[in-house]
Amino acid sequence: MSDAGERGGDGGITPTTDGALLEVQDLRVHFPITRGVVFRKTIGTVRAVDGVTLDIRRGETVGLVGESGSGKTTIGRAIVRLYAPTSGRVVFEGTDLASLKGAGAKQVTARLQMVFQDPYSSLDPRMSVGKCIDEPLKVHRLGKKTERRARVEELLGTVGLPARMATRYPHELSGGQRQRVGLARALALRPSLVVADEAVSALDVSIQAQIINLLQRLQREFDLTYLFIAHDLAVVRHISDRIAVLYMGQVVESAPTDVLHDDPLHPYTIALLSAIPRPDPEIEARRTHIVLTGDPPSPAAPPPGCRFHTRCWLRQKLGNPERCEAEPPPLASVARGHAVACHFTDEVRASPERAAVRVGGSSASA
Amino acid sequence: MTGEALLSVRDLVVRFDTPQGEVHAVNGVSLDVGAGETVGLVGESGSGKSVTSLAVMGLLPAPAGRVASGQILFDGTDLIGSPERDLRRLRGKDISMVFQDPMSSLNPVITIGEQVTEILRAHEQVGKADARARAADLLRQVGIPNAEDQLVRFPHQFSGGMRQRVMIAMALALHPRLLIADEPTTALDVTIQAQVLELLVGLTRDLGTALLLISHDLGIMARVARRIAVMYAGFVMETASTVELFANPRHPYTVGLLNSVPAIDDRGKALRPIEGAPPDLEEPPVGCPFAPRCAWRVSSCWTEMPPLRPIGEGTADGSGLEHEAACHNPVTAEEVRGAAPLRPGFVPAPPPAAAATASPEGPA
Repeated sequence: MSDAGERGGDGGITPTTDGALLEVQDLRVHFPITRGVVFRKTIGTVRAVDGVTLDIRRGETVGLVGESGSGKTTIGRAIVRLYAPTSGRVVFEGTDLASLKGAGAKQVTARLQMVFQDPYSSLDPRMSVGKCIDEPLKVHRLGKKTERRARVEELLGTVGLPARMATRYPHELSGGQRQRVGLARALALRPSLVVADEAVSALDVSIQAQIINLLQRLQREFDLTYLFIAHDLAVVRHISDRIAVLYMGQVVESAPTDVLHDDPLHPYTIALLSAIPRPDPEIEARRTHIVLTGDPPSPAAPPPGCRFHTRCWLRQKLGNPERCEAEPPPLASVARGHAVACHFTDEVRASPERAAVRVGGSSASA
Repeated sequence: MTGEALLSVRDLVVRFDTPQGEVHAVNGVSLDVGAGETVGLVGESGSGKSVTSLAVMGLLPAPAGRVASGQILFDGTDLIGSPERDLRRLRGKDISMVFQDPMSSLNPVITIGEQVTEILRAHEQVGKADARARAADLLRQVGIPNAEDQLVRFPHQFSGGMRQRVMIAMALALHPRLLIADEPTTALDVTIQAQVLELLVGLTRDLGTALLLISHDLGIMARVARRIAVMYAGFVMETASTVELFANPRHPYTVGLLNSVPAIDDRGKALRPIEGAPPDLEEPPVGCPFAPRCAWRVSSCWTEMPPLRPIGEGTADGSGLEHEAACHNPVTAEEVRGAAPLRPGFVPAPPPAAAATASPEGPA
């Protein structure tokens, strides 16, 4: 899991030539801000994703974590071709997705599926569960009606739903059941990569745990590769082999999961780790919290230099060095598979805040 | 703490009348909040935690929702049956509330300044200019920069975190004695959540305001609450000091909840979810509502809901707070870690109908 790209200066989750199921290279997705109805004028650009590079190897789970507006959902959608990249490439199973058209596109994208946060709005309310799962099979002409019916039943069983659910409608199901249907639908075409966008975020904890366990079982059974997008670092950490932390459309740190937790090096990652409330009052009582000041800036007008500099606790401690404002830090490799975009990693290493997060966090794990 | 509690909810039963029938939202909840105390109410969707708080505020959606029985004592006075005029005086002044979504609780077409001054002017004799100055002060207190300039802005011009700060400023404007915060940070990003929680806790502590915090998030509870009540299907299943509840959970549902949360510190540890789904609240509760999902159930669980009663030898933190659970067959300390009953030969009791037909399986 940790033989991630050790190449040149870009380190971390980088494209390696072999073994990568999906390569995202310098992806940019910009959205125009327009004004006017008849005479539409572009008055600005939202840089939702601004130069993201990551690769995902077969069979692993890569977590993409970030807050609202970090671009994590846009990345997921650009991968499954719901958004066209402004620039950069998405290479899936060796094929550049932008080059695909017609039947070829259909064939490749069948192996690339997405599971959404809110299964209620992603399932057609007028379609029975059976029809819903059957739809992709039908579109791709996979078998006769009776064969497809058998396959739908098999898929329902796979996600832990009884076959009689096929005749139900989405509104009759609970949130957890709907998410299972969303999974069955995503699995119908035997994908190799599943992009799960906040797939468990809307669920109650006890149901969330069921779906997480289901995702892990399905991964083993069907050799799935996951891009797991979520804002909840605890959930992402539980399921992922590697994690990339996003801030305002850029990766600020990426590392194998344990490294990110035990050895975080970006001030934003440290703040995130510190902000997550732990379900343990004793840890909470002795832990110090880094509370970031202010809101994230608007993605239509990202700050110059390091995008995090307006809220960075370390920069404040260092007396607001000019460099953070002047020069965007490159995502640089600091160790095998670990890349950080910060000018002051040595200062981060020495900071008591980082030590406090680590002590608070890793008392249980030796 | 009975007797001297600021808020004392006694055997509260809330029903909703719907076209499909009666919904049994709250089924006999008792809960105390002492003056200045921070109490957490934790539970999943449909557990009745929000309905309980709305009942306290007298804000159940009429005519569907109604308090069927029970008492809500605030400072010794029963709020149920109190005239609406008295309740209006109480709300905002003595008890106030912060909701999950500040956008839907703020009026979108009125400036922030007008909304904050409205509260002051509704309850106190203050001139316009004074009210404005105080409103700016309040915004400053909750950490909103350039407070004077913000007064003329509208809610949509604020970020989610800022809107929630405005809500907190409004809720604490009159120094209430009790603040009910219903999922106040659930809609916010984690780093903003940390800011808002810190603010909420700091301000209520400074003002001596008691805080009833409602959340599904056990991590937030661990950070903020001194005492926790765990709700399920309209019942309080377990209550204890926060330290005790996490160290020594005794109710199978609490144990299930704790085992469902991915702990950031021990990855790799498999989650042990609670199987099944919460019950349909349109059915009147018979027995313990958790029985169908419970690995510890015994035959009486199917027929009789046990009362909330003191449990255990003492509390882990020596706080003297009572540890109570509503359970016929509480989890033992050794069983918590394994998340399963360890007594040799123990089999969860089958439902009564099945028990009648099935042959007995080993010693129970």
